[in-house]
Amino acid sequence: MTRTLTALAALVVASPALADKAGVVTTYADIAQAGYEDSLTSAQRLQSAVEALISEPSATTHQAAKDAWLAARVPYQQTEVFRFGNPIVDDWEGKVNAWPLDEGLIDYVDDSTVMGGENRYAELNVIANESFTLSGEEVDAAEITPTLLEETLHEADGVEANVATGYHAIEFLLWGQDLNGTDHGAGERAWTDFASGEDCTNGNCDRRGAYLQAATDLLVSDLEWMAGQWAADGDARAAVTEGADAGLSAMLTGMGSLSYGEQAGERMKLGVMLNDPEEEHDCFSDNTHNSHFYDGLGIHNVYNGRYVRIDGTVVEGDSLSDLVAEADTDVDAALSEDLDHTILQMAKLKAAAEAGFSYDQMLARGNEEGEALIMASVDALVKQTRSIERAVTALGLNDIGFAGSDSLDDPNAVFQ
Amino acid sequence: MRALLASTLILAATSAAHAGVEEAVTDHALPATEEFAEATAGLADAAEADCTAEALRPAWNEAFDAWLGLSHLRFGPLEEDSRALTIAFWPDTRGMIPRALGGLMGSEDPVIDSVDGFAEVSIAARGLFGMEQVLYAEDMAGYDTESYACGLARAQARDLAQLGEAIAADWADFAETVRTAGQDGNETFLSESETKQAFYTALTTGLEYIADQRLGRPLGSFDDPRPDRAEARLSGRSVRNVTLSLEALRELTHALTPGETPRTDEAFAAALDTASQIEDGDLSGVADPMRRVQIESLAQEVRGIRNAAADEVGQPLGVSAGFNATDGD
Repeated sequence: MTRTLTALAALVVASPALADKAGVVTTYADIAQAGYEDSLTSAQRLQSAVEALISEPSATTHQAAKDAWLAARVPYQQTEVFRFGNPIVDDWEGKVNAWPLDEGLIDYVDDSTVMGGENRYAELNVIANESFTLSGEEVDAAEITPTLLEETLHEADGVEANVATGYHAIEFLLWGQDLNGTDHGAGERAWTDFASGEDCTNGNCDRRGAYLQAATDLLVSDLEWMAGQWAADGDARAAVTEGADAGLSAMLTGMGSLSYGEQAGERMKLGVMLNDPEEEHDCFSDNTHNSHFYDGLGIHNVYNGRYVRIDGTVVEGDSLSDLVAEADTDVDAALSEDLDHTILQMAKLKAAAEAGFSYDQMLARGNEEGEALIMASVDALVKQTRSIERAVTALGLNDIGFAGSDSLDDPNAVFQ
Repeated sequence: MRALLASTLILAATSAAHAGVEEAVTDHALPATEEFAEATAGLADAAEADCTAEALRPAWNEAFDAWLGLSHLRFGPLEEDSRALTIAFWPDTRGMIPRALGGLMGSEDPVIDSVDGFAEVSIAARGLFGMEQVLYAEDMAGYDTESYACGLARAQARDLAQLGEAIAADWADFAETVRTAGQDGNETFLSESETKQAFYTALTTGLEYIADQRLGRPLGSFDDPRPDRAEARLSGRSVRNVTLSLEALRELTHALTPGETPRTDEAFAAALDTASQIEDGDLSGVADPMRRVQIESLAQEVRGIRNAAADEVGQPLGVSAGFNATDGD
């Protein structure tokens, strides 16, 4: 009874607060814009580091490129929360952050690691082959260009694991395969894989460098495009700010879908259940704990309307938390607590990994400590999803096409 | 007075229909979990008696049939310990099942001798699909009673029985959690509306799964059909899975919805009729331009059920679908 009365009172208060809704979705778009601009800036630093590695290959320039990649992941992972709920982002995301990949498409791999499954091109090795046949078509790959990667190789043969572009393709080229299984250790590619002349190891160093350069250039141009989508006159910004309720729905859809189906399920739980180190999101670099942590932080940012940029400046404004609190203080308190709890669990996972208990070790069969660390985050993500659903109800957004799948929004989607 | 009388009548009419969350629990979920527990216990018994492929296939098929009666209830006990994923690890896009089984067989891993030990093994080697590979794959199914593979099949069957038993036991408790929604101390469901949403989400997600995964994956595109991606292709029960799953979802619809659902019923009937006419049980017809049309129609009809149910089930219940486990990519 008390709850009903509170809810009624909240409705009376909430209904004239339309200005707040506009403010909340504007903050959301501002955080998205800042996040993609930061991702772009850090990808440009990576691009410079890659140029240096290719022109003057050495252990030092190789390490600098790896460091730049790791830094670039920090802002980018915080933008993943914009993916679901914003079709402009979701349609584009596969070029930038597709995973998991059959890396044998790109470069040499260890014989023991080729599995393929449904993939006919899991061992194509573009770097070693200047021409080949793909889905019945003869492909001239003498020159490795962004266009070749983007238009011919990416998702070749309709197989999603044929990832030719984006962060994880670059990660593979910088680190190489992690052959340590569920033991400690990341990929151990030597800098000499990029050396010239007789110093070159594993062959085709020039083509490997060309591939790395092309993939990095493409990442920069893709991020440039997305930052523009959220700028003052961008389409992604317009889509969430023109109708505030649709914008709010996009925010909550993004938070819930990333929390539950994507992160808790696909990325974290599946790896534990399969005991498979390849199920690590950043498996070559062993950076998975950070990838999960910054995903979680991105969700936290959106709800609280606050993002700390890579230069330390803060983007903040009217928050979704305030809006939900106006509708139902209990729902806001529970969701805020859940999000904080998730961040704490993710921080514990990150701390353990950084102290030397790496994510792939946690996935080993019968590793109870690792499973407990990962599942604590999974449980926290599942719990916060229920609270996100309650926030949707509290804001009266149930009738908006919510959490729709491809088949709902577009009956023909699966035939495309 | 008249208004009061009218509202009393409406209440009476509603309860007369005998449908709602209580019916979804009592008439749908609980019997389905009991049947699955019985079927998997039968599978384990069969494996103790004779673990060869030929001998085990009937009991395995019965267990799979029973699974389809509850596989869509992806909340509560099925999500606990990732049980649904363990029982039915599909799609296996990266060939994990043969790899995991090959790993066990190659080293003759003694883990199959321990029930608790086998429960720690990769889910790719467990559940109905891990077992399908052992019972039906050409390069595996010919094993004899003394072989490692026979012991592996026995371990898989025992593991499934344990999962079935745990789900049935937990659902008996979980039913109380559903029934006491909104009461003090119930932290799972804060209102009855949340239980309606849970069942309604199970219905819509189940339908989407049939259209997008069970049918959508093998359909691929017209130029590039992928019959090799059909669910339970080895055992040839791809279409049967669609049919039994549709029947279970229809049962849920009727248990859950207080009012009539004529459009939804019609859509279910159309889809079940189309499914009954598909000749290739493994959906290999997707690669034949003529036979493909029928499978495409079926997928559209299943989406039609989804849309009708939004109006006839979701709206009267006052809920929309919540998040589901397939929201990721």
